[in-house]
Amino acid sequence: MTAALTHSFDGIASRIDASGARSVGFTSTLAGEGTSTIALGTALALAELRQEKVLLVDANWIRPSLTSDAHQDSALGLADHLARRTDLSKAIRSLGRSHLEFLPIGDRDAARPTLRGLATFLTTDVARFPTVLIDLPPVLTGEMYVLPWASLLDHLFVVLREAATPLPLVRQALGKIGLGAPEIILNRSAAAAPELTRSLIAAQTAGFR
Amino acid sequence: MVSQWRARSVPSVRRYVTAAMRYRWVILGILAVVWGAGLAGAYHEYTTTYESQATIWVLRPSPELSNTNPEDPGTPVIQTVASQQAELLSQLLRSDSFVREVVDQTSQRSALRSAPNEMAFLAGIRKRFDVETLGTNMLRVSYTTSDPRTPVEMVNAALTVRTERVLQARATSTAAVGTLYRREFETAQAQALDAARELDAFKTSHTGTLAPADESHLAQLQLAVDFAQSRLNELRGRADRAAVAAAVLEMSGLEFEVVDEPREQGTPSGGGRAAAILALVSLAAGSLLAGLLVFAGTVLADHVAGPLDVGRLAPARLFATVPRVAIPGSGSERDLRTALARIAFDDAEASRTV
Repeated sequence: MTAALTHSFDGIASRIDASGARSVGFTSTLAGEGTSTIALGTALALAELRQEKVLLVDANWIRPSLTSDAHQDSALGLADHLARRTDLSKAIRSLGRSHLEFLPIGDRDAARPTLRGLATFLTTDVARFPTVLIDLPPVLTGEMYVLPWASLLDHLFVVLREAATPLPLVRQALGKIGLGAPEIILNRSAAAAPELTRSLIAAQTAGFR
Repeated sequence: MVSQWRARSVPSVRRYVTAAMRYRWVILGILAVVWGAGLAGAYHEYTTTYESQATIWVLRPSPELSNTNPEDPGTPVIQTVASQQAELLSQLLRSDSFVREVVDQTSQRSALRSAPNEMAFLAGIRKRFDVETLGTNMLRVSYTTSDPRTPVEMVNAALTVRTERVLQARATSTAAVGTLYRREFETAQAQALDAARELDAFKTSHTGTLAPADESHLAQLQLAVDFAQSRLNELRGRADRAAVAAAVLEMSGLEFEVVDEPREQGTPSGGGRAAAILALVSLAAGSLLAGLLVFAGTVLADHVAGPLDVGRLAPARLFATVPRVAIPGSGSERDLRTALARIAFDDAEASRTV
């Protein structure tokens, strides 16, 4: 069952791997889209695929659910590190059996993410990690916690829930992020991913003719 | 071209299908209520309604019997075919006095007298009548209600009252025409007497050989007398023909003949058409409501229906899809998350600081 669950995220993991990206962020339009679930699943799948260290960072200042799942609510974390309260090595948790390591949010009141602080964090502080995955809050409710990451990450994915996320709000969120060509991850898709990929390619090919 | 069309149409169709699936219980509820009520009403209508009908043969009268004089005001009453007769009967049924007179000739007269609202009662009677044209020379009058005896009475009474009304109108019209011709005749008669008197006076005053001018005047006077006499004869003939034609039509009944008398039905089946209409309307209304719900659900709650639909967010592009994962015994997002968290966090015997 474990393998089956993580294999659900093999598609995303393999594409991230193929793109050679090191830092990847996951955000959404609204809460409840499955962003943290996808971040967690992708981290597990990437750790298994790359067989090297993957750092999963809970940067959701609004609702740090990964930190709660890891029972690290009162532990030191990212916010404490950005506030220079602690050394990063004391905040990162190694998760036993896999290559996955986890950085909880910490005390959210200690600091806010800034472009400069995050740039240092990504390029220097976690330089030893070949892969860094960031779980971010929804754009529309946590714009100030998402935008500083947008220009620093190799990929920033917007997670949509199929047949649920209102399109006008998605457009609004994409407009706020302001990337040239935002990338979408469609969650809870009814069709099987490989078939969808084939049909998508076929449709795009037909459209170009 | 076909594949382009498919690529564009599949996402839009799927949006509606998705909306229909999302609201499927509401749609099923609406359909159950509307269709159920409609079909139940149709069944009740069919099993409790009796109908009686009369088929009537209508013939246009012979031109000899119909006065073709455009000055004749009786023409519209006499010249009728099926559609005109059907229209005439329908118009009569729109008047309260006609319907009241019809009801007075049936067993429903006591119900009419005791009705608290006479107008509403008459309106209820009126809407149970139906007059339809079967062809150029045939029409059908029917009445539907919940007991088998009343329809026969109503149809017969309607035909009787209609005949009385037409005869009364024809008599009035004939009397008017007669009065008109009589006045014209009196005027023409006076003119003829004047002309004859002038001619006699001229002859008396001019005896012997007449001068050419007097001969010409005498010829003019004679011509005026002849013309007045001819006019008198024509008016007398026209008046006689109008009176005779109306009488012949009235006696023969040529233009309105009941070929199938209304009969009392033993089993209720008169509501077949009303029941079918009721059922069709309920089916259409239910389908329309469900369609409106799907449309509103699609348009108002516009969302990505599937991977191909991400194209609507251009220039954003689809990076990957995450399929819906079925967890044995549940299947919700929360259960998937719990399972993943257990794999990632709880499998570590004790989280340790690096």
